Amino acid sequence: MTQAILEAHASARPAPPLLLVGTDFRCSPIELRERVSYAKEDAEKALVHLLARSEIAEAFLLSTCNRTELYLQPRDEDGAYRAALDMIFLPRSEELERPGRLYVKRNGEAARHLLSVASGLESMVMGEPEILGQIKSASALAEAVGAEGPILKRLLRSAGEAGSRARQETGISSGAVSLGYATVELARQIFKGMDDCRVLLIGAGEIARSVARPLVERGARELKVANRGAERARQFLAEFPEAEAVPFDDRLAAVSEADLVIASTGADEPVLTRRQLKEAMRSRPPRPLLVVDLGVPRNVEPAAGKVENVFLHSIDSLEHLIQRNLKRRKEEVPRVEEIIEQELGHFHSWFRGLEAEPLVARLQKQAEKIRQQELAAALSRFPAETHQDLERLTRALVRKILHHPSSRLRARDGEDLSRLDLVRELFHLDDEES
Amino acid sequence: MQTFLEVANVLLPLVYLLVAIDYGFVFFASAPFAERAATPSLRGAALLHLAYLVAATVYWRQFPAATVSQALSIVAFAVVVVYVFVEWHGRARSTGFWLVSLVFFFQLLSSLLTRPNPPDRAIFHDLFFSLHVSLALLGYAAFVVGAAYAFLYLQLYRDLKAGRFSTFYGKLPPLEVLERMMIGALWVGFVALTGAVVLGAVWAERLYHNGWLRDPKILFTLATWVLYAAALMLRRLHRWQGRQTALASLAGFGAILFSLMAVNFFFTDFHGFL
Repeated sequence: MTQAILEAHASARPAPPLLLVGTDFRCSPIELRERVSYAKEDAEKALVHLLARSEIAEAFLLSTCNRTELYLQPRDEDGAYRAALDMIFLPRSEELERPGRLYVKRNGEAARHLLSVASGLESMVMGEPEILGQIKSASALAEAVGAEGPILKRLLRSAGEAGSRARQETGISSGAVSLGYATVELARQIFKGMDDCRVLLIGAGEIARSVARPLVERGARELKVANRGAERARQFLAEFPEAEAVPFDDRLAAVSEADLVIASTGADEPVLTRRQLKEAMRSRPPRPLLVVDLGVPRNVEPAAGKVENVFLHSIDSLEHLIQRNLKRRKEEVPRVEEIIEQELGHFHSWFRGLEAEPLVARLQKQAEKIRQQELAAALSRFPAETHQDLERLTRALVRKILHHPSSRLRARDGEDLSRLDLVRELFHLDDEES
Repeated sequence: MQTFLEVANVLLPLVYLLVAIDYGFVFFASAPFAERAATPSLRGAALLHLAYLVAATVYWRQFPAATVSQALSIVAFAVVVVYVFVEWHGRARSTGFWLVSLVFFFQLLSSLLTRPNPPDRAIFHDLFFSLHVSLALLGYAAFVVGAAYAFLYLQLYRDLKAGRFSTFYGKLPPLEVLERMMIGALWVGFVALTGAVVLGAVWAERLYHNGWLRDPKILFTLATWVLYAAALMLRRLHRWQGRQTALASLAGFGAILFSLMAVNFFFTDFHGFL
């Protein structure tokens, strides 16, 4: 009987009231995403205006280069949806009204989406780590303006947990997926550590700068740059003050002292030949030399890869490595989804705990009312000196009888809401309230 | 005691096989259950092995290196001890599969070649001689470790050269670290073998006066010593890069196997015990 009632109520489980309206790189091109992107100050104002609307109880705005998503805890869903469109999206671009540009998710689906975003599953580069920091910053902003209430705060905590666990417990963020980090990954497989690695960049253009950044971040010991044009070298040095400029014609001497050489010039002829590298290897201790050729046409003679202890990798080779790492990340998706479901379960349990509190209070109130009625009817039949004892006895009885059911109702252990409905039905609590 | 020795002789290769499989799961599948079980199971196996060697010493009342079988078992044990230290020091299990597989191979050979009653040789009661044998076995064990790291170095070297990014890529320590471990092991082995050769020569001269230098086992050991000496010197003089040293290490390992097995079985009487 009890099981039947539980099963009957299981399907009617309410989810936390949430509304998500958003657009991302899948729905909108960069031109559109740029228009709907919110800088910190704009986001702050937008949240304040949203909270002024009676239809919205809580709000959280996530705006990155790949997505703008508004999470709301609505008092009135239709009104909140209209407010999202009128205040956040359409004023920036009316094109967003076209079908397929915006997506809308509700309740459990909205919560699952945020956890999925935090875990990196919705990112353009799957598993990229920046999104977790961006969510934390957006959350801090929402909290600062008072837009984050208990439900969104708890949801964001679950999202943070899911994101951290996904990165710690699975390989969703492992392996490099950009040219710069792929170079770092290769260097780490060859050298003892990046702090032991002296880097020489031949060419100081856009590619050189994008590759130099991760190398510096990961603690490369020394950074030298050899460029034909002085102006571009100066620009490079302005961006990387720790770097040292080397005359282009002295690059061969610099190769002898380097551990990692990155060539990315626009030259039509190789800037490093096999003969030159062989010569350089003779004049240095027997250490490996990693040469990364990012030039098209190639900057390093392909035959240079045959020189003993020289590891020559072209842009194709790095692309191959990136594709391999991306494939491995995709293989981790089911494990990340498991984590998301677990954290979503914790969020739902917490929400059901909120539901249970008023019910427990009603149950205790009703029991107390019955106790008082029965005690009042019985007291006249007992001597006056026993009344206090009877009072204490009945209070203790009620408290002890209700202790276990109350704590079980409050327990956030993943049980569904049918338990609450069962208690309402068994004790006529709804009738009592009415 | 004899029952224990017989049981341990069968059990040890089986235990090492299981531990090698566990380390295989660590290397190829990064399986968490295997990660948890690897170190304790290897240490357990090492303790069983130590108990076996102590029991053999007590039971036969001599240093347990009187036969090829016993010598192989000591080499296997020394490799385990070296690897347990490397794993503890480096907090990494990525090379465990390869080293424990070698240990299994050596212990399996040892168990298969076991004779019920090893000969009771008076020389094994001689402290001077025991030191000679101990140094030789320590040297062999270090060369085995060096060969394992040389093998891994060459695999990773080829992968990195060809841009293949196979199973070895990303799972092994960096190329430079493998090279340092290999060269470190070769130096330990070389110093120990040098000590063994010098002690052996002094001892043989005292006992046999002349003729002992013509023994095939000794000639082969000296050739192996020269090979390692040349490899280490060329490396030290910056003439050789890591790959050439690794190839020399593998060649030396082949020579050691030949020295331990074929030379002992087919060519020598004088040095037949080891």
